[in-house]
Amino acid sequence: MLENQAKASPAPAKALAWAPKDERLARPPPPRSSSRAAVAAPSDSAVVGLRAAAPPSPRGKKAKPAAQYDRFIPSRGAMDMASSQFNIARADAETPLDGAAAAYQEEIARACGVSLNKRILTFREEAPTSERDDLRQVYSRPALKSSASTGAKRRILNTPERVLDAPGLVDDYYLNLLDWSAGNMLAIGLDQSVYLWNASTGDVDSLCQLEGESYIASVKWTADGSYLAIGTSEGDVQIWDAETQSKIRSMAGHQARVGVMSWQQHILSSGCLDGSIWNHDVRVANHKTAELVAHSNEVCGLAWRSDGALLASGGNDNLLNIWDARSTVPKFSKTQHTAAVRALAWSPWKLDLLASGGGAYDRHVHFWNTTTTARLNSIDTGSQVTSIQWSIEYRELVTSHGFPHNHLALWSYPSLAKIVDIPAHDKRVLHTAMSPDGQTIATAASDESLKFWRIFEARTKTAKAGKAGAAAASASVPTPAGAVATLDISRPSSIR
Amino acid sequence: MSVQTQLTKGKITLKGSAQIVTEFFMYGINSILFQRGIYPLEDFEVKKKYGLDIWVSNDQQVTKYLKTIMESVEEWLAAGKINKLVLAVNSRETRETLERWQFDVQLVDEAAGTDGPAAAAAAASERPPKSEKTLRMEIQAIFRQIAASVSFLPIIEEKCTFNILVYADSDAEVPTTWTDSDPLHVKNAEQVRLRSFSTDAHRVEAMVAYRRDPDLC
Repeated sequence: MLENQAKASPAPAKALAWAPKDERLARPPPPRSSSRAAVAAPSDSAVVGLRAAAPPSPRGKKAKPAAQYDRFIPSRGAMDMASSQFNIARADAETPLDGAAAAYQEEIARACGVSLNKRILTFREEAPTSERDDLRQVYSRPALKSSASTGAKRRILNTPERVLDAPGLVDDYYLNLLDWSAGNMLAIGLDQSVYLWNASTGDVDSLCQLEGESYIASVKWTADGSYLAIGTSEGDVQIWDAETQSKIRSMAGHQARVGVMSWQQHILSSGCLDGSIWNHDVRVANHKTAELVAHSNEVCGLAWRSDGALLASGGNDNLLNIWDARSTVPKFSKTQHTAAVRALAWSPWKLDLLASGGGAYDRHVHFWNTTTTARLNSIDTGSQVTSIQWSIEYRELVTSHGFPHNHLALWSYPSLAKIVDIPAHDKRVLHTAMSPDGQTIATAASDESLKFWRIFEARTKTAKAGKAGAAAASASVPTPAGAVATLDISRPSSIR
Repeated sequence: MSVQTQLTKGKITLKGSAQIVTEFFMYGINSILFQRGIYPLEDFEVKKKYGLDIWVSNDQQVTKYLKTIMESVEEWLAAGKINKLVLAVNSRETRETLERWQFDVQLVDEAAGTDGPAAAAAAASERPPKSEKTLRMEIQAIFRQIAASVSFLPIIEEKCTFNILVYADSDAEVPTTWTDSDPLHVKNAEQVRLRSFSTDAHRVEAMVAYRRDPDLC
């Protein structure tokens, strides 16, 4: 090729770098004069002058253009169109191995450890994953410093701080008749009436009295404690102003009793005996904004998450449903409980942690991560779980129980170790409520008593002397309300 | 059990042997899942088998999953199409294979077949049928070894999952639930050969490959 190119090169105006040396030597030094002459002249002569004795090729005879550049024109005679066409067409086809090649491939395969006639198969489906923490890891973690051992010893008395009478408390597992407001007012529904007990002053007020056969099925304070929602057995949801003690509005519509309610700012969710959950916007006239139906039996547990993104609901159909605030279909459903799910509580320190407790047949408390929908932990408590309260200050939770032990159990989280069992009542502990300062738990039981337990005593309390173990009246105890006698337990202790 | 009556009658048939080997795999895999902590301890319960207490998973999903796999494995064993069963333990996050338990399966006639078919037949007929007791002792030995292997296998800290691989002949009938895969070898592996057992029709050899601990080298 190169030889051909060299030979085909036009007049030597520039010394062609690739020309074979001998040819260049053969040439006279820059024959510019001759080249100029050669430009005009036909190329033949110039070409002939260059080459020693090259056979005339068809290229040489072609007329050279005025511009001095090379043109490579393949020799068409030397081309085999047919075979090249074939090769291009077969480019993708696998070349069949002849005997020697096949044997070679086998040797290579054996050397590489790959067997030619074997397949490695694996099952398509992935192995099931276990969501629970490996117990070995849980047990081998360095022991968490229990809150009792840090600083001052925390006292959890086996006796209540205060006992009040609650006559007429309906003995029904599915009602939610106790709530403690942020304004330190305790609302309790006793049969047809709702009473407000001011925890700071000890005053008792009767808020309302229902007519006819209906009874109070649920009470729930708003987050700031200014309004109280009352659910009745008729399906009515009433909003009362606690300050003025007057009814603001009554929202009807439910076909059966409203046993549980939960506030999320201006939205009130109410759970009904027929399994439906209604969301009411209490500011507008047309209050019903959504209807969430996923329970086939009474809704007995309802709790909004503190940020308002998720709503947890538990029913008598043993289902635990988690709802996204924006949809009317549950985000996910859990069927782990084998009895009614009434106790629901969101953890105050971990946003997606939810604890749910099952009824008499189940007796378990399950912990869920509502973001991943995984069940993190479980406790078998041994008794019907009626409610769960998380501590704000400590990494603990208290569960209240009915059949058969009727006690309060205090658990540490996440180690799930039982810290203490408090034999609370003689009959089922039906309702609990936590004080706004997070230190006291109020429990109401079917033995018609309302007891107060100082379980989560504040660590930084300096003036404990007066408050702790206040079973005995102390004249020196200063109270915001002034009069000491009102805190005295010797005061006639019936709410009337 | 029908397998036992077959044993007393004479040699185990290929099908019966396939059943024995599959059962061994089932219990072996459960045992390994327990020992290596793939699933939490409370998911296991004790079953008596081969004269030993073996920990078997009582999680429904796991049992169902393994049962489905073992059904296919048993078919392949009976057809003689399988020559290795591998249990690969992978880390859940990094998907890296941490441990590899490999069980080589050979048809006993094949092993002796190199002498020539006539010699093999003669050898096969001469060999006395394997007694049930001997078989059980051999399998027992493997299980004890699996339990004992905990002493030298590195501790697995992270959460793991497992994969079952089957090295089958290319002409095996593969249901759609199975797919081709890489061999999932362990990088920087230490290998330990465990004991083997053989029924009259199959010979099973066990081996475990685990990650060499970089600190110890």
